[in-house]
Amino acid sequence: MPRAGATNSRHDRDEARTRRAPVRIDVEELGKSYGDFAALDNISLTVRPGELLALLGPSGSGKTTLLRAIAGLTATEEGTIRFDGEDATSLSLRERRVGFVFQQYALFRHMTVFDNVAFGLRVRPRDERPRPGEIARRVRRLLELVQLQGLETRFPSQISGGQRQRVALARALAIEPTVLLLDEPFGALDAKVRKELRRWLRELHTETGLTTIFVTHDQEEALELADRVVIMRAGRIEQIGTPAEIYDEPATPYVCEFLGGVARFDCTAKDGEAEILGGLFPVGNGDGDYSGPALAYVRAHEIAVVSREQAEGVPALIRAVRPFGPAITVELSIEGHHDRIEVSVPRELHDGGEIAVGQGVFVRATSARIFPKD
Amino acid sequence: MQIDESRAVKAALIATSFLFLGLVLILPLASVFTEAFRRGAEPFFAALIERDALSAIYLTLFVAAIAVPANLVFGLVASWAIAKFEFPGKSFLVTLIDLPFSVSPVISGLVYILLFGSYGLFGPWLIENGIQIVFAVPGIVLATIFVTFPFVARQLIPLMEQQGTGDEEAALSLGASGFQTFRKVTLPNVKWALLYGVLLCNARAMGEFGAVSVISGHIRGKTNTMPLHVEILYNEYNFVAAFAVASLLAFLALVTLVLKSLLEWRYGGELAASGRH
Repeated sequence: MPRAGATNSRHDRDEARTRRAPVRIDVEELGKSYGDFAALDNISLTVRPGELLALLGPSGSGKTTLLRAIAGLTATEEGTIRFDGEDATSLSLRERRVGFVFQQYALFRHMTVFDNVAFGLRVRPRDERPRPGEIARRVRRLLELVQLQGLETRFPSQISGGQRQRVALARALAIEPTVLLLDEPFGALDAKVRKELRRWLRELHTETGLTTIFVTHDQEEALELADRVVIMRAGRIEQIGTPAEIYDEPATPYVCEFLGGVARFDCTAKDGEAEILGGLFPVGNGDGDYSGPALAYVRAHEIAVVSREQAEGVPALIRAVRPFGPAITVELSIEGHHDRIEVSVPRELHDGGEIAVGQGVFVRATSARIFPKD
Repeated sequence: MQIDESRAVKAALIATSFLFLGLVLILPLASVFTEAFRRGAEPFFAALIERDALSAIYLTLFVAAIAVPANLVFGLVASWAIAKFEFPGKSFLVTLIDLPFSVSPVISGLVYILLFGSYGLFGPWLIENGIQIVFAVPGIVLATIFVTFPFVARQLIPLMEQQGTGDEEAALSLGASGFQTFRKVTLPNVKWALLYGVLLCNARAMGEFGAVSVISGHIRGKTNTMPLHVEILYNEYNFVAAFAVASLLAFLALVTLVLKSLLEWRYGGELAASGRH
């Protein structure tokens, strides 16, 4: 897979350095509704200059609407969007100069790759338009940046999905955008190409230094790629944080469930603590002395399987074993808990003959996140 | 055995299709040309350069030259509105566009008589101001536009709906103006469908009989189009002349057909691809 900038000349890098500083985006109390449905409900958010930000959420959570609102493609009823402090809601699409990469790329099918990338330069008003030679130079440089040299004369229908994606990116970068916005950039690609392009996009972001926002419904993609992740739900922001913060300290039950890979337990908290699978864990972030019904989330690797002799934690019955990979996944049923839970156990335990279908074991949680149940 | 059987079925189906088309389409069409040349080439060309015939040819071309561009613009505007925007009354508009297809052409002519005839809604006002629409060229143009307006829109709407607004948004976000977006993105995306619609529209505009017959008044040398001229000649038992003009009309239709096939053959891939991405 291409590496962004691997073949860039020194000249290009010098030019990149002299480019203007990355833009800061402030979204203030943004609201947008379609009839009774609130697509965006009082959204406030600051995107730091040069940041790579992910908008993560299921479909209908408002993430694409927010991205389109920032781009100026969708009008909003309430709130303001500022680019470096300047109110962008009053600017036209042309004045905003947002590089937008569409989910289906929206490449112009009747134009070659070259003409697609050159489009944004050619439609500029006469006095701002670069000369044809300069346009050709810039287009070639961009195609080099996205590793598509030699495909200039192809039409979009003649190149692969991953290549189209990169043409769309080059086309968006051609207008020297203030910010770069990507709508489900890898949504239409197969798994292998996705992974490669992901790393490549990260490198490209380092190279361009642009404030970049991308929308995704894939939590792995967001956590792996972004500097910070915004988790959205029903037009609202559920949590903002770095991937580590989101993963280690999910703010709400919704975030826990959206990130997936967790077992959910109903439990009862007493004085800010709740017992779950033989362990005592604090409610929320340790503050307060909440007593009452609560929800606990335990990740698969946070459950330890103990042999019968040790008899620690809660008795469980092994229902299925998936003996491959670095850790073995075991499906267990626990008395009083109707869902089966998945647990990862080290290989040695399995090889030692302790893990077999139908065998009784004990499980104990080593960590858990507990939320008061409303 | 089974393969032989299906082969026989296949042959029978193909033969039936060709036989039917031959009987219903090709034979009559060929007879038009043979009738036209029954007495040789001289009477044929004489019938075409005769004063009334020339006037009918001229009028037909004149009407098409107005109706086709008018429907081109209307078709583009309507399909743009229908395909790219949501608005109340949209499905009603789509139904309206189909109206000329479902209504008998005679009625299409009659409505203009009812509107603009001397006893019609606007009749008195028109007479007072000395404007003649019915039994005159403006009426013929109006009736032709009415009958042919679905062709362009019908070709464009499904294609534009399928293409969505993504390309236009991309162009705008890249800094293009509304007009640049239309000229450089929207129009090229639909150009083949548009040309196709224009060809069909033109064929019908030149060949329309019913609506034009009602509203024209059949004034020789003045409000006769080619199809009307053919009818008049035929009713006067002037068969050679009637078939000569008819063969010219048929020839124009064949040219249209050939152009359409050429388009499909040359740009078939693009015509199909313009829907996909």
